[in-house]
Amino acid sequence: MNTSTYKVPIPGRTLIAAAVASLLLVACAAAPVRPDGADAARARLTQLQSNPELATRAPVSMKDAEIAVRIAEQPQADVEIGKYNVYMADRKVDIAVAQAETALAVDQRVGLAQAQEKARLDARTHEADLANSKLASARVEIADQKSQAEMNRLAAADAAQQAALLASQQSADVAAQLAAQQAALLASQQSADAAAQLAAQQAAQQNAEMQRQLDEMHAKMTDRGAVLTLGDVLFATGRADLKVGATNNLDRLVAFLNNYPNRTVVIEGYTDNIGGDEYNMALSQRRSDSVKSYLTGQGIGSVRLTSTGKGLSNPIAGNDSASGRQQNRRVEVIIDNPPVAMR
Amino acid sequence: MNVSWQRLTDQRLCLAAGLAGALLAAACASTPPPTASLQAARSAISHAEEADAGRYAAPELSDARERLAAANSAVDQKMMPAAQRLAEESRVDAQLAFSKAERAKAVAVNDEMKHSNSTLIEEMQRKSGDQP
Repeated sequence: MNTSTYKVPIPGRTLIAAAVASLLLVACAAAPVRPDGADAARARLTQLQSNPELATRAPVSMKDAEIAVRIAEQPQADVEIGKYNVYMADRKVDIAVAQAETALAVDQRVGLAQAQEKARLDARTHEADLANSKLASARVEIADQKSQAEMNRLAAADAAQQAALLASQQSADVAAQLAAQQAALLASQQSADAAAQLAAQQAAQQNAEMQRQLDEMHAKMTDRGAVLTLGDVLFATGRADLKVGATNNLDRLVAFLNNYPNRTVVIEGYTDNIGGDEYNMALSQRRSDSVKSYLTGQGIGSVRLTSTGKGLSNPIAGNDSASGRQQNRRVEVIIDNPPVAMR
Repeated sequence: MNVSWQRLTDQRLCLAAGLAGALLAAACASTPPPTASLQAARSAISHAEEADAGRYAAPELSDARERLAAANSAVDQKMMPAAQRLAEESRVDAQLAFSKAERAKAVAVNDEMKHSNSTLIEEMQRKSGDQP
């Protein structure tokens, strides 16, 4: 040791010590800085905390993330530790986000399960509705088939009557003219009996053809004539305009009336008992008018068509059930027997 | 007497200083490995693996494995503070892999439910379409 050192005055020694100390400090903690990336971690955490759907769903991991971000925000002299703190903060924010989103997904399942239940119920209800409507149309078909049998029987009688009449008069209406010519030709060569027989045969054929057309329309033979019942499928509830695509049967009627120009038609509208007399009378009138105007629109002379509303009278089924009411809501088209057949 | 006491004190001081220095050096050189952190990282990784993180969060899971391996090699090089940090990072990687796998599975369940709902509705609409 140098003795002169001891002779240095005290203030000088203090100065040196201070200088050494400050040098050391500078070396150790050169510049404590806020680590890179801490702000970004804070921003992502704030975003999570302010998302109303996620903010409250993962409280524990969000608290962990908050603590980690706070540590990451501390200025650090050691760059490695600063990096480490930011890494931990980032990962903990990620974990909090993932857990909150998982919790959200689990909570959403309640709603999804309810939606599933509703969809299943709707599907079942729908199937039941379909089955009901199939049942209703099956009933209508059976009714049609029954009436057809009756109609065939009456039609046979009608045809025979007409054929006999034509044959005995040896005259031919427009439809039987060709038959008469052939019959006349034959009559010159053969006996009058044979001619008459042929005429009768031709007339019978004509009638069979007419009958086939009536059959197609599912017409019912009554003492008023052939009755064609158009079900309520023609109209929407409470409406009088014809549904699109419901005119199939009406088009057969048009063809029939074109083939047999001496036939006239009465159109009668009927309803069920819902809505009172006046309302139903008016509705049935409008519906029968609507059928009439469809027919005139197809070229049938309006003088051959009469339309009336019968309201809720003459129900053909009970009004106490939906299927009965459905049968009562109808339009009947009555094809009058031709005057010639009535003598 | 006075002088000898003074000498003795000086000797003791030297000894104490020497001992303290030795202790400090020993403390630095023999910091124990971060056994608990390494163990925590390993168990977090196997927890994530059980949750199928290999399928749903593969990058995070492999991060965790790599950092665990790096932590072990830091232990071999006696870099204990670095080993400690790597082990902790490995653990949060594994926890994140686990959380992401759980989220992916939860979302998959919801998607399946949504899909079956829309299938039901579609089927119903198709049946309505059949109706004339």
